[in-house]
Amino acid sequence: MNRAAPACAIVGGGLGGFVTYTTLRHGGLEPAEIAVFGTDPDPAATFRACAAAIRQRHMRSESDGHCLARSFPGLAVRSALRSGSVRPLIDSVRDRYRPTVEEFLAHVADVREGSGWDESFRHGRVERLRAVDGGFEVDDRGVFAHVMVAPGHAGLAYPPGFEHDGRAVHSYERHDYADEVVIVGAGMAAATEWLNALAAGASVVSVRRREPARRPLNVDRAYFTKRGLAGFQRTGPEARIGLLRSFVAPSYPPGREWDEPLAHAAATGRFRVEPEVNGAAQVICATGFRRGFDADPLLRDLVERHRLETAGGWVVLDGDSTVPAVTDEQRTLGLAGACAQWAHPGADTLVGMKYAARHFLRRVRRWRTR
Amino acid sequence: MAYTLSGRLQSRLAATLVPLLVACVLAVALPAWWPLELAGLMIGVGLALDLLYDRALPYQPGWAALPLGAGELVLVMALARLLSLGAPLAAALAFYAGAWVLAQLLAHAGFPLLRLSYADDGGELGRLGGVVAVAVLAVFGTAGGYAWSTRPPTVRLSAGIHQGPIVITHRQNLVGERGAIVRGGIVVRASHVVVRDVATLGGEYGIEVDGAHDVLLDGVRVVGATLDGIHVRRSKVTIRDCRIDSPGGYTQGIDISFSADMGMSMVENCTVVGGQQGIVVDSAAADVHGNRVSTTSYQAITMTEMSMGMIAQNEVAGAVGAGIACVDQSMCMIEDNHVSGTRPDRSTPGLERQSGYGIVSDYKAEAELADNELVGNARRVGVFAGAEITPPD
Repeated sequence: MNRAAPACAIVGGGLGGFVTYTTLRHGGLEPAEIAVFGTDPDPAATFRACAAAIRQRHMRSESDGHCLARSFPGLAVRSALRSGSVRPLIDSVRDRYRPTVEEFLAHVADVREGSGWDESFRHGRVERLRAVDGGFEVDDRGVFAHVMVAPGHAGLAYPPGFEHDGRAVHSYERHDYADEVVIVGAGMAAATEWLNALAAGASVVSVRRREPARRPLNVDRAYFTKRGLAGFQRTGPEARIGLLRSFVAPSYPPGREWDEPLAHAAATGRFRVEPEVNGAAQVICATGFRRGFDADPLLRDLVERHRLETAGGWVVLDGDSTVPAVTDEQRTLGLAGACAQWAHPGADTLVGMKYAARHFLRRVRRWRTR
Repeated sequence: MAYTLSGRLQSRLAATLVPLLVACVLAVALPAWWPLELAGLMIGVGLALDLLYDRALPYQPGWAALPLGAGELVLVMALARLLSLGAPLAAALAFYAGAWVLAQLLAHAGFPLLRLSYADDGGELGRLGGVVAVAVLAVFGTAGGYAWSTRPPTVRLSAGIHQGPIVITHRQNLVGERGAIVRGGIVVRASHVVVRDVATLGGEYGIEVDGAHDVLLDGVRVVGATLDGIHVRRSKVTIRDCRIDSPGGYTQGIDISFSADMGMSMVENCTVVGGQQGIVVDSAAADVHGNRVSTTSYQAITMTEMSMGMIAQNEVAGAVGAGIACVDQSMCMIEDNHVSGTRPDRSTPGLERQSGYGIVSDYKAEAELADNELVGNARRVGVFAGAEITPPD
């Protein structure tokens, strides 16, 4: 193999790309064999900004929500070793361990430093990806045999009519709180914003189309292993679209830390639920990100150029998170992150990203050893 | 983790590989089969329960390993007891605990380090899973083959009279056909010997066991031994379902002596008729259980000279002198026996302790009595020479 010309490219310098990178490195690839294309050398830049905007203090993910290839040692073990306390381990076996955002970001920084990421990183947004003989042409930056596309979310989603409304701010944009705040949405970001606004002294009106589900993770735990995943991957298009839509329905974890402040605020008239936005001075749109391949220019172009099969806004993938129409013995095109949910319903989580990365590594290894 | 069924089974087998090898080493070092049998039982119970867990636990949180492990422990120990594995309790608990801790370490750390997609694959280990299954089978196959190859030879005695004495100096099973009789007795001088369904006729001792452990005398019959029907020295034996007919004179039905440091012997469900003493335990530890002893001319069942043990559920009838005697600093638990028709020993006039007591505790002996039936004896309970009986009669 020619080490001067990388065979692997990762399109996207966020957490999905970073997890793929650490997995490839774990699999024995050198930094020179991997090219990472992104707009910010800090893989946690987007996450950091979003988490800061909603003042998120704890991750929703658990001990294995980290960026290393192996699931052990997880963040709970690292925290226990650092603090000398077994509490993180006990919390972890009880499924109660949630690392702090600060811990997670420190972990990303540590891994980045020791991984060679910066050596592989190439600045710039990729506009076009084209399947060619023996690989994929990434803009005019070269041809790579194996490409993982981890573009991240395709931008912030607003409720209809609010994108250009002067009162509106997205929850993932920097903001403060007015005396009365309308918060649209009912997922994890919305729930965090309810508590933030109440803590800031505001009165909160929660506008929601449906009641949020209360579950620890956004996808049932069984789907994170072959047990649930095998059944999911056997479903037909209609059933799978139905399942995926049910998974993106709003939810946040159960627990007193959420319920007690809301109950107290409701009792004192500072928190109420309404079906419509009223005339409040500030509307916080906790409505997540734009969804679907066509919201992302790179994916849209890829689908159109190669007439890739799609269903309900998702690119149809094989079980190993690769795009079947353009993947063969010579080349691999994998997707990671939210755009890979067709293969793994939790693809937008760190564990889901690792699933895609491990399968990608398997294909790369097979190719390397030939 | 949300295990697949295959993942559960593979993880279980892989986690038991090291304990299984440890069991092999223990089995050789002790030497004893119980470590391997216990390991096999643990694996069997675990695999069977995995089938149940697969349905009951689509997702198994980490903490669930604790109650599930405790439940499995109870089940394994109950089965070990039921199957009479002979595993010492403390050692068995330690073995189980060690295996459980190792399994947890492997499930949470070892396997994820070994196999990148261990969690994704629901506990499946890929090719390694198959290798492990083969390895476990190989260990059991090898152990089973070894056990088979080292089984003691079985010598069958045909029906009819064989001239003795037969001296057994190697591990073996001596099994008599119906009507097999040895004239002049059998001498056992090796451990792990089984004598089954053989009758002896005459000789000083019907069956003599000397310096051996784990000897089983099962369904033997002794007639006309001029000293002891079964004579045990420095040995650990189990005697069950035997019948001893002793002639008069200075004879004893069963005599287990000088074996206090050899472990507990057992005399169970035997019928002893006649002789001076029926069953004697002298400087030994023994459980004398469910026997019928009758028409002895001195004492029916005796524990003496710092012996220790249980005398329970025996039927003693028509003894002369004393029925059950705990003598000379021995410690005896005498429970649930039926002693009847004990008469005074006329040959020793004035010897109070031989004046027809159902139960006697003599010379600093300590006897604990419970639920004994004493019927038609010349006297009920006698305590002599600083001996004790609790509760006091």
